[in-house]
Amino acid sequence: MTKTFISLIAAAMLAFCVVAVAQDAAPMDADSIAAEARAAEAAEAQARGEFRELDEDVQALKKEVLDLNRDLFLLEEELLFPANSQVAFFLSMDVGEYFELDSVQLKIDGKEVANYLYTAREVDALVRGGVHRVHMANLKTGEHELVAIFTGKGPNIRDYRRGATLVFNKGIGAKYVELEITDRVRKQQPEFIIKEWE
Amino acid sequence: MKLRNTLVALVFGMFAASSLASSSLEGRVAPDFALKSSTGDNMRLSEYRGDVVMINFWATWCGPCRQEMPLLDELYSRYNRVGFNLLGVNIDDDSRRAMQMVEELGVNFPVLFDARKEVSKLYEVEAMPVTVIVDRSGTVRYVHHGYKPGYEEKYLDQIRSLLRE
Repeated sequence: MTKTFISLIAAAMLAFCVVAVAQDAAPMDADSIAAEARAAEAAEAQARGEFRELDEDVQALKKEVLDLNRDLFLLEEELLFPANSQVAFFLSMDVGEYFELDSVQLKIDGKEVANYLYTAREVDALVRGGVHRVHMANLKTGEHELVAIFTGKGPNIRDYRRGATLVFNKGIGAKYVELEITDRVRKQQPEFIIKEWE
Repeated sequence: MKLRNTLVALVFGMFAASSLASSSLEGRVAPDFALKSSTGDNMRLSEYRGDVVMINFWATWCGPCRQEMPLLDELYSRYNRVGFNLLGVNIDDDSRRAMQMVEELGVNFPVLFDARKEVSKLYEVEAMPVTVIVDRSGTVRYVHHGYKPGYEEKYLDQIRSLLRE
């Protein structure tokens, strides 16, 4: 009888302990979940911040690369074409009613240095006042001969090929030469002029 | 001895396959060029920046080119409206023969003539046909040397993925 009573008391105490532990455990779980959620939020915010920083870093790096590329390009141009020996050849077009430009070939002192094919868009840009740098070269001081051969469609959409020559003197300092295509209305023919810029 | 020969052949084969599979052009900016087209207009590659461009080098004497061109034309007709362009660069000395073949095959994509072989040198064309696929930003993404039936499936996948970028 006593044994049964002791067992009952032990069972009751055990049950009480289990309930107490369960009651204690419940609020602890809720707290830990909330803490975990806060931690997760904080981690997410941190990750977002880090990602934004990384994005900004990438953008800054891209800009630096672009700047560096520009500087290198300018440096390369300065090194390859020093101002003193530089000669640049430009092409411009005025009206262009009697001539539809197809290509330009440039020869300096008998040697072909450029052969440029113009697309319809490029011709359109020239007609609208654009100027195209056909070629850039380094030339020694002294006399040089430039021959420009223009091909395209002339009046009445006929194949047209014309050459123009200029003997120019390359002094000290950069030189700019312009190949100009204009319409000679009186003769209803195109005109090809090569002139040096002062 | 036989085994040694087989091994040597295998190594050479692998080397040749790897050199054909990869090209030094891949990942680089596609070299710009302008060529006269079959319509008489000049066409410049850089004017297609923003589109996916396939450059197909071909010749009239090349059998696989003849097989490949109608399949490429199908791709061109299907995807041209969504920003895909195809430039067929013919390397024959005589453009008349090329025009004849174009008419015979009934292809519609622009055909350009590289009689001076300047563009094929620029693109390191050492086999025939060579197909170069350029992405919207002007970078060479894929280079295919030669043609075997089934390559068009590869082209299709690559074009579709580049159009989606």
